[in-house]
Amino acid sequence: MTKEELIQFEDEVAEIYLAGKIRAPIHLSDGNEDQLIEIFKQVKPEDWVFSTHRSHYHALLHGIDREWLKQKILDGDSITINNPEHHFFASAIMGGSLPIALGVAYALKRKSSSQHVWMFVGDMCAEMGVYHEVVKYAERNDLPITFVVEDNGMSVSTPTQPTWGPPERKSKVMQYVYEKHKPHVGIGKWVTF
Amino acid sequence: MKYFDEVKRAMEFLGQQPDTFFLGQCVGCPGNVMYKTVVDVPAEKRLELPVFEEVQLGMSTGLALEGLVPVTIFPRFNFLLLAVNQLVNHLDKIPEITKGGWRPKVIIRTMIGSIRPLHPGVQHCGDFTEAFQQLGMKNVEVVRLDEAEQIFPAYEHAYKRSDGKSTVLVEWGDYYNEK
Repeated sequence: MTKEELIQFEDEVAEIYLAGKIRAPIHLSDGNEDQLIEIFKQVKPEDWVFSTHRSHYHALLHGIDREWLKQKILDGDSITINNPEHHFFASAIMGGSLPIALGVAYALKRKSSSQHVWMFVGDMCAEMGVYHEVVKYAERNDLPITFVVEDNGMSVSTPTQPTWGPPERKSKVMQYVYEKHKPHVGIGKWVTF
Repeated sequence: MKYFDEVKRAMEFLGQQPDTFFLGQCVGCPGNVMYKTVVDVPAEKRLELPVFEEVQLGMSTGLALEGLVPVTIFPRFNFLLLAVNQLVNHLDKIPEITKGGWRPKVIIRTMIGSIRPLHPGVQHCGDFTEAFQQLGMKNVEVVRLDEAEQIFPAYEHAYKRSDGKSTVLVEWGDYYNEK
């Protein structure tokens, strides 16, 4: 699918929405066509794609039929486009797809599948604790998953980085290492009461 | 018929099924009485996880999307509270947002912490069974296992059920010794 075709699709959805024919929220994409077209050159048809509430471009580039997608949007499902046949999953909860994508990736590795998982998140999501947990686990266990951070600097209408404070970080962490000999709980012996 | 023996028998039954996979805390490493119930499940079917409850439950859902039936273990009901987003917003809603296209089946084990003879404190002995049953979930059933006789049939049903629903099974820590 070309850049022009992607833009045309979202313009068409916008017109339908303006006509009052979609009784649900829509989240249109724009400005990232070139980057996504480049990324999706690596995505195989059988791969899993995990997306967000803003998923139209991801779905089209993963080979989902534009008319099927348009009908889902007309049905009010734009915020959670899911297509099992294409291994396409989207959640409208920030960070919600991340652990699920991790589980799929673990299962694929366990059965030595050649499929890969592509996990798309926004820049605010990439600051959440769940993102860091999932990325750490995936990297340390070399799971077949790639995380793509789509950074437009905003989360809804909240600017991502300013809300986290100034970019300079002053370390507030101390850590020490020690060896423990007592058990986690109790004393390691049965006690009679 | 003893409570602990029935839990262990149920785990061994699940462990024999070709598509089950056990994950969570005290699944691969000792540390909690629940470990003793899975110790005879083949080691290659057990995955000890870090403490990241939300990730654990979402990961279980992902495993189910790839055809496995995960048995995911949260040693205290209080700990399962940290995974409620994955339970309510995802595992329960996936059949709805996919119009039945996906029906991930997950078996969720948790426990009301034992209070006898030692009381573990109010953060380790919560029973949220009724609260969970009132969360409006259509695709997750919550069952408390009050009697030993319930246990094996409940786990067998959780595995064999063909309605695509997941099951939360709530065990009583005290009954491991008392019933």
